[in-house]
Amino acid sequence: MFSWPPPAPFHEDERSMTMTTPVAARPAAPDPTPSAARRHGGRNRREAVTGWLFMLPFAILFVVVFLIPILVSIQSSLFAQQPSGDGLYGGGELVDTFVGFDNFALAIGSAAFWTGMGRVVLYAAIQIPVMIIAALFLALLLDSFIVRRPGFFRLAFFLPFAIPGIIAAMMWLYLYTPEVSPFMDYLPEGTDLMAPGTVLLSMANMTTWTYTGYNMLIFLAALQAIPRDLYEAARIDGASGWQIATRIKVPLVRGAALLAVLLSIIGTIQLFNEPVIMESANPWMGKDYTPMMLTYNSLLGAVSPSGTGIASAYSLLMAVLAGALAIVYALLQRRKGDVA
Amino acid sequence: MSATTLIETVRNRSVKTSPDAPPKAVAPSPVAKAFGIIALVIATLYFLVPVFWLFVASTKNNRDLVSTFGFWFAEWNLAENYQSLMAWTQGLFWQWVGNSIFYSVTAGVVGTLFAVMAGYAIAKFAFPGKKIAVGVIMAGLLMPVALLTVPLYIEFHALGLVDTVWAIIIPSAVSPFGVFLGMVYAQSSVPTELLEAARIDGAGEARIFFTIVLRLLGPAMVTIFLFIFVATWNNFLLPLLMVSSPELKPVTLGLFGMVSYFNPDKGAVMLGALLGVIPLIILFFSLQRYWRSGLAAGAVKG
Amino acid sequence: MVRSAAVAAAAAISVFGLAACSTDAGTSGGNGEPVEITYLHRLPDGEGMTPVSEIVDRWNEENPDIQVNATKFDGAASDMILKLETDLKAGNGPCLAQLGYAEVPQMYVKGLVEDVADEAAKYSDDFSAGAYSLMTVGDAVVGLPQDTGPLVYFYNATEFEKLGLAVPETIEQLASEAATSAAAGKYIAAFTPDEAQYWLSAQAAAAGDEWFTTSGDEWKVDTEGEGSQAVAALWQGLVDNKQVVVTERWGEGFPAAINDGSLIGHVGAAWEAGFLLDSLDGTPAEGQWRVAQLPDFGAGQMTGPDGGSGVAVMKGCEHPAEAMEFNAWFNTQIDDLASQGLVVAANGTAETSEKMLRQFGGQDVLAELAAASANLNPDFVYAPGFSSLSKMNETASGVADGSATVADIFATAQTTAVATLEDLGLPVSK
Repeated sequence: MFSWPPPAPFHEDERSMTMTTPVAARPAAPDPTPSAARRHGGRNRREAVTGWLFMLPFAILFVVVFLIPILVSIQSSLFAQQPSGDGLYGGGELVDTFVGFDNFALAIGSAAFWTGMGRVVLYAAIQIPVMIIAALFLALLLDSFIVRRPGFFRLAFFLPFAIPGIIAAMMWLYLYTPEVSPFMDYLPEGTDLMAPGTVLLSMANMTTWTYTGYNMLIFLAALQAIPRDLYEAARIDGASGWQIATRIKVPLVRGAALLAVLLSIIGTIQLFNEPVIMESANPWMGKDYTPMMLTYNSLLGAVSPSGTGIASAYSLLMAVLAGALAIVYALLQRRKGDVA
Repeated sequence: MSATTLIETVRNRSVKTSPDAPPKAVAPSPVAKAFGIIALVIATLYFLVPVFWLFVASTKNNRDLVSTFGFWFAEWNLAENYQSLMAWTQGLFWQWVGNSIFYSVTAGVVGTLFAVMAGYAIAKFAFPGKKIAVGVIMAGLLMPVALLTVPLYIEFHALGLVDTVWAIIIPSAVSPFGVFLGMVYAQSSVPTELLEAARIDGAGEARIFFTIVLRLLGPAMVTIFLFIFVATWNNFLLPLLMVSSPELKPVTLGLFGMVSYFNPDKGAVMLGALLGVIPLIILFFSLQRYWRSGLAAGAVKG
Repeated sequence: MVRSAAVAAAAAISVFGLAACSTDAGTSGGNGEPVEITYLHRLPDGEGMTPVSEIVDRWNEENPDIQVNATKFDGAASDMILKLETDLKAGNGPCLAQLGYAEVPQMYVKGLVEDVADEAAKYSDDFSAGAYSLMTVGDAVVGLPQDTGPLVYFYNATEFEKLGLAVPETIEQLASEAATSAAAGKYIAAFTPDEAQYWLSAQAAAAGDEWFTTSGDEWKVDTEGEGSQAVAALWQGLVDNKQVVVTERWGEGFPAAINDGSLIGHVGAAWEAGFLLDSLDGTPAEGQWRVAQLPDFGAGQMTGPDGGSGVAVMKGCEHPAEAMEFNAWFNTQIDDLASQGLVVAANGTAETSEKMLRQFGGQDVLAELAAASANLNPDFVYAPGFSSLSKMNETASGVADGSATVADIFATAQTTAVATLEDLGLPVSK
């Protein structure tokens, strides 16, 4: 193999590159083809093959586990199960009937769907910023050498994520129920943590408790990619710890932050466990409190209209809306990044 | 510098750097330190007090759960709860914990590797169909998984995989989120120049990936692994549909089985949940060494 | 790998496209080989109960020709319907499965259960007629009943005596005794919004109403008849005068009220006897409670169905006769089934367990519950789509703060039931 061109003094390059255009700040930007590739004939093709070879194991499993079921969902959203006969019990069989976009019309026309969507969007607007900022703050603290052994705190913050969701929900239900809660006696008289006005906040607390630690780990891993001599240089230039955190570290974890927020948006649109458990003790919430509850319960027949057709239509609609929200957020971030 | 020395440097650096000793220049001021510690303690209380409640609850019977102070112990009922847990799980509790560990570790290891490979490919290679692939994977993230489980079951039945370990491991090992995390981390912590240098020195792509890239992505891989591990451990609908043989069930199914009774022995359920968390804590500690500061820095500094 | 993915793709799509109803459940059989029957249940199999597997093992030993493979399902009832539906779609359905009575008509409409009327007729004499009718859909019978959930009345006899209360025999008496005890700070009943769907419909049945009847070839829904109105008036009065505890049955408020002794009576389903008093073990209140027949809601000594389930033969089962043979045997193992906390639908009374004797002060609880079972309103049937009436619980939640009346709950039932039948494409008269 040729050793030409000679290895570039890349550590110098890397430094200046990191300083001027933080790599992490532009996750969505297409990766620039390495300039060296252009100089070598046939290199593009080899790169393409190598790229696909690395993609392949995931791609195969993805097709099996996601793509085919998604296609099946799309297909079944175009069908409705209708009785084969017209007796009291409809002939005792259902037949799949092609109904075009009827299921989507039903889903889009469903007031319960949009009310639920309004709830989760409101929920997302409150909960996600709180959680992401808290996670970032904790990650910066643990990364700033304030404690010598951050292992304990890492575990402590992460532990809630490991508790199975239904157990965590049961636990919060206890903590929120006035008759048995160990702390509600200390709250102002008449506080109801599961009233129509407060239940969203109470659920937001459940989600925050569960996921902040994991998001912190995402940031922590991203922070570790930052060369430490960067801080030393900044210190020598007279930057305070606070300035290092906000001016150097935060911009450099923006890629990870963007991803964490996107995932949270999608997760919130699909909010399910928390409201299901809360609904069990607060039936006023109904079986359609969030779009995901509506979808699942229409699959089970606990809300009407029911069946795989309408449930698929709901979930595709949810996916489209989650995707739209995610794209809007990503675009806003990118514009902000360009301005900065 | 040859690829071998590069690899050596990466290896040495990651071992030699003491992660927790702050260089003088970046040590925080005493005031900042005090505020930082206060904040950490408050956060620790917020996260751990409910876990403490869980522990207290797992030592109580149903009556004491509703009639005694929640943050302190009443009559010590742990042994009875353990017995009840064993009875309700037909004595299979520890086998189910073992199953869960097996599923989660396998799915976690395979899933992390595949996700990092794919994320690395997206971040560092130009190949036709990349944009489409990213878009399709994104769509996988957007669809509610619960809705995909039903068609997945039918597909797996056609493949003859229902009620086998594969029915849990294969779906759990596919993490679109892991791919994106891998992509973001590869963009930020794998310098393209390093790859170029290794290539010029004659290292093959596979060797570069397994010796340089994976090493640089250590913290990232732990993060992805933990995500897949916990998601597999806590998944309910997938094993509920896919698995019916008692000897294949994961521990969450056992706990759900107990909870779906009208009057579950709640202390026993919480005990089961806590006992199930112990392997995860051990795992977490054994992965500690991957959280090191300045790995990439060391590598690039050479 | 690639090939199998392609095969899977083709298979998955074609299965959905055809909505295949061919199944290979309960395979083998024929010459010499034993018939295999798969059975999916969601009985608790808890501490101190005779596990289903043990009962089934006994059958398998005695019946080498019909081998049964029982599987426990670990989720909620509604999840199990999803599982069954998916199993059957994939052609992997069990031969026998446990179904809640209210789910039976819906499963029949979906074509997921077999009509085994001829086989069932052979065994019908062994089961309570009211329960047997709940496994009946029109002219079809889809299996055999397992347990029943007639409403009964639980009360703390010691407290009743102390307060000079009579065990209510009519709803008027229930109201007057509630007033007396409330004046003394005790409550002889709880209004439980999270149970409204089954609990209130059962009370309407106890008052002699039928919610779902047929006129010609159409469904007629009437959830606001005289009986329902009487039930609404009773609870509205009790709630308005603060003479009952208003709390979720499955929340923490209910057990807390039982434990602190403020709740000394409860209109509940018979199967609650299995665990209602567990938390009183070892306290002074242990052994003070009794169970009685539901007060007369206006139709004499009649009660209504609040839960219970049967074992149905699923579509595609290749050996329905053998499956039914096991079904009949299994569901007449009354002592074993009683140990699972069931009020068995088969004739005959199981022996009341030590635990129940202790908790109910030596009362022969199962005899009392069997009597209630016999008093089930035989004409009250469910219509397809009854599960969507959980909407009633949502309305019932508003009763506590006065934003809804009890009558509103029944109005919700009416509109929801009619809309659901329409959504299902079934004929309904308005």
